[in-house]
Amino acid sequence: MGGLQKKKFESGAATNYITRNRARKKLQLSLPDFRRLCILKGIYPHEPKHKKKVNKGSTAPRTFYLLKDIRFLLHEPIVGKFREYKIFVRKLKKAYGKTEWSAVERLKENKPTYKLDHIVKERYPSFIDALRDIDDALCMCFLFSTFARTGKCHVQTIQLCRRLTVEWMNYVITSRALRKVFISIKGIYYQAEVMGQPITWLVPYQFAHDHPTDVDYRVMATFTELYTTLLGFVNFRLYLSLNLLYPPKLDIKSESELKEEDEDDYAMGSESYLEKLSALSASLARVVTSTEEEEAQIDLFPTEDNMEMMEEKEKEKKLLEAQMKIFEGLKFFLNREVPRESLAFIIRCFGGEVSWDKSVSIGSTYEMMDETITHHIVDRPNVDKRYINRYYIQPQWVYDCVNAKMLVPVEDYFIGVTLPPHLSPFVEEREGDYVPPEKLKILALQRGESSGQQQPEEEEEEEEEEEEEDEEEEDNDEEDQVEENKLKKMEEQRSQGKVKVTPGKVKMENPVRLEQEEKAEEKRLAIMMMKKKEKYLYDKIMFGKKRKVREVSFLKSRNKYSLLWERQTKK
Amino acid sequence: MAAARRLKRVAASQPGFLTLKSNSTDLLSGRRKRVNKNKKKSWNKHSDINDVEEFLNDIRHQERTTGGLLAEKSDDSLFFLDVGQPLNDAQRDKPVEEEPVERKKRKGRVSRPLRIDLILQQDSLIPPPKDVLAYQQPNAKKLRRSAQRLEQLAAKGVVPRKQRQLLNRRPVERTTLKAVTEANNNPNRDYYDIWGQELKDLADPWYLQQTCKKRVQRPERLNEKPSTLPAVEVIAPGGSYNPEFFSHQALLKAAHEVEVVKQKEEDKIKRQLAVNKEDTATMETIFHEELEGLVEEEKEEEEELKDEEDVAVGAIVLAQKKTEKQRKKERALKIKEQRRMANRRMNNRQQQLFQLRSIKASIKQQDQKTKVNQIRRKAKQEAEKSQPRRLGKLKFQPQDMEVQLSGELAESLRQLKPEGSILKDRFKSLQKRNLIEPRERAKFKRRHKLKYVEKRAFKEIT
Repeated sequence: MGGLQKKKFESGAATNYITRNRARKKLQLSLPDFRRLCILKGIYPHEPKHKKKVNKGSTAPRTFYLLKDIRFLLHEPIVGKFREYKIFVRKLKKAYGKTEWSAVERLKENKPTYKLDHIVKERYPSFIDALRDIDDALCMCFLFSTFARTGKCHVQTIQLCRRLTVEWMNYVITSRALRKVFISIKGIYYQAEVMGQPITWLVPYQFAHDHPTDVDYRVMATFTELYTTLLGFVNFRLYLSLNLLYPPKLDIKSESELKEEDEDDYAMGSESYLEKLSALSASLARVVTSTEEEEAQIDLFPTEDNMEMMEEKEKEKKLLEAQMKIFEGLKFFLNREVPRESLAFIIRCFGGEVSWDKSVSIGSTYEMMDETITHHIVDRPNVDKRYINRYYIQPQWVYDCVNAKMLVPVEDYFIGVTLPPHLSPFVEEREGDYVPPEKLKILALQRGESSGQQQPEEEEEEEEEEEEEDEEEEDNDEEDQVEENKLKKMEEQRSQGKVKVTPGKVKMENPVRLEQEEKAEEKRLAIMMMKKKEKYLYDKIMFGKKRKVREVSFLKSRNKYSLLWERQTKK
Repeated sequence: MAAARRLKRVAASQPGFLTLKSNSTDLLSGRRKRVNKNKKKSWNKHSDINDVEEFLNDIRHQERTTGGLLAEKSDDSLFFLDVGQPLNDAQRDKPVEEEPVERKKRKGRVSRPLRIDLILQQDSLIPPPKDVLAYQQPNAKKLRRSAQRLEQLAAKGVVPRKQRQLLNRRPVERTTLKAVTEANNNPNRDYYDIWGQELKDLADPWYLQQTCKKRVQRPERLNEKPSTLPAVEVIAPGGSYNPEFFSHQALLKAAHEVEVVKQKEEDKIKRQLAVNKEDTATMETIFHEELEGLVEEEKEEEEELKDEEDVAVGAIVLAQKKTEKQRKKERALKIKEQRRMANRRMNNRQQQLFQLRSIKASIKQQDQKTKVNQIRRKAKQEAEKSQPRRLGKLKFQPQDMEVQLSGELAESLRQLKPEGSILKDRFKSLQKRNLIEPRERAKFKRRHKLKYVEKRAFKEIT
């Protein structure tokens, strides 16, 4: 024995953690400042494994941070800025209290500010890191840019967010990166693929805000502060990668087209350029004006194994390119009741031309009277004056086309027609899951089958057949049944008539079929040879599968009635 | 003699010439007073200069009022021919009298200068003397010389040193200073390629490290996200504005289940808080309560006392002392028992040789069990990574699911009513991903109680 007695809580978990209050005191910051610092630096609270040990015997719920993290925070230069700001506020208050206006002026001029550039660089050491984390930034910026310019947050922040989001949208348009769109009851989800990274963001509907009281605006504003900085740098880099000018400039040609209108009606001189950019109807200027983009070609190394891979890749690439140009050559006109920004963004993303009424927004390129317009997007029960040479369709058509990656037949989307459901492109059905019939239709269309004339029943049969292929056992059972039926018929024939000798038919032996049968036989044997335990497990699995199939088929059978019912209720 | 007297008179008439004549006459007439005349002081004291003063005053007066000596003026400037008054004297007088009255009415006294101003006005006609100093320049000569020299040098083409220094001075970098003061959320701020160029610190790394100016490297651990959840969780397909029937039903069902769980919890609390009807006081129970302790009190107390006494006596009783013999016997027994146990252990160990197979099997079984446990634990840990953790006082509360009932669904995009708030959704997402701890808004706490006082004016009315 011997040695000093060990004291409790002087080693181990208790020394690895620090409570929030102690951390705050160590940094000499107020709680809001501490919170802000943690958010900016990306240091998050940590839940210890053994709370009682960490909390020195107490079980009171506390927020813990890792001590090493807080030590790391001590080196941050922004901490000093926070302290300076605290002192600045104190001095300003004092000056106000003493009504020393000159002092107030002087203090305000020398207001301490800080920049987050170094933090962005530190948190995202490479561009790809930043791109992976851009989802949050985009959501937040899109959200803040729709806020009213009231006292909820700084007007400057809102303006900055608007600028950044417009830049982002312009980038997506120019790079044709948009992949999926989903109109939900919350807002519109977009997914783009930038540099191989899928990026999802959520855009709120315009004018849809009631400000909830249980949200901490200060925390949100702090996140936004970081994200605006991040998004700005990412935008810069993306523009650089496409050889575009940054800050974005409109193309000279398109700018001259836009200039015809009187701009003063829409915005102040200082804001009109941003407004024109945000109209999304004009393309951007490039650093080097090249007529055609040089398309990166995959280097070919023709080895025999590689050939197929290469061919496949090229096929995919061509397909993708075709998908990116689905609206090319089409001319859209947006009526005033449709969401302009969203539709203009999508249509331009896929190469279409778009315009709207002059009085709706700045940046319209052609009038409604234009004879070359192919699609007129309307969202009202009827239109008084119609042109013969254009389709009048509802806005959902555009979204569904994007998700289907092809031009969906227009007939279902005419004015006054009950729309087919808008399906989520973010769902990926696994084998055996219930697939909505509309999706099957689209899949069939994508495969190149024209299902426009087909009746729904036929389709269902098709589906069933597909499923049957999946389940071999069922298949076999049915075959047995078919054979039995044949035998029965033969017997009946025999009983009815006399015995006859008919010329024998050569039974065609299908090698594929034979193989399948053999396999099925093998499987059956294998099942027979199973141990009791394994057999039990196998039965269980198969039961689960069958149950799923049963449910799906049940849903399908109900589908018809439910649709009917739904239509009736809607009417 | 006469000539001398005349000369004297002429001299006396000249200004600035002191006449001693009057003095001498006085002195001659009265008692002669002896006065030293060898000192200036006594001269001043005993010489009479009144007439000289008078003369000089007269000259000054003349100069002040007329601007020169009257004697030197021409006659024209001093006199004029008085022709007499014009004919219509009386007629002319009247309007003169009337005019000032009118003026008074019109302008009052504003037009006339104030008397104090008039008094203070300069009335002398002598022009003020020139300020000589105003025309003088200090170091004029030196400056002139240096200017001449500069001209000469410039002609030669030599740039003076001062100018050279000015030219060589570095321009002050204003731009950097401005960048510092620019706020972070300035909507026109500029961005640059932050990932492009590697900033190289020009200073000595050792110096930077020692002076704490080197940036501390961010630990790798901080780059891991505290949760595996994606930043943007896409709503279920039933949340489409124009949903497919079954996915909409599925979403409704999920929302319904959430509600059911909530309802159950509420019901549970209600049940726990419910008052048992048997516990409520009735007249009878109140009566019994009041009677409590009045009747049968003594008996119970006595019984209790008895019990207590018994217990106390039992506790005090001590065990009797063991004899030496008993102790020896116990010891022997103990040793025997120990030996027996040791023997048994030895035996067991030897027997285990023959149980090797079963032992192996059991070890294998145990190993398998631990493996299974490990896998299970790992799976649990993985699952927990996507769960919101307990980071503070409050637990994470998921927000209500956004759902529109089949009746609420919009028929077209135009009529769509957005559901829920994205701001809240983002905020909850941050909490769910363990980026911030769930928190309640700080409640306003009043430090001192409010005191209500009825004001007197109000009191009178009521």
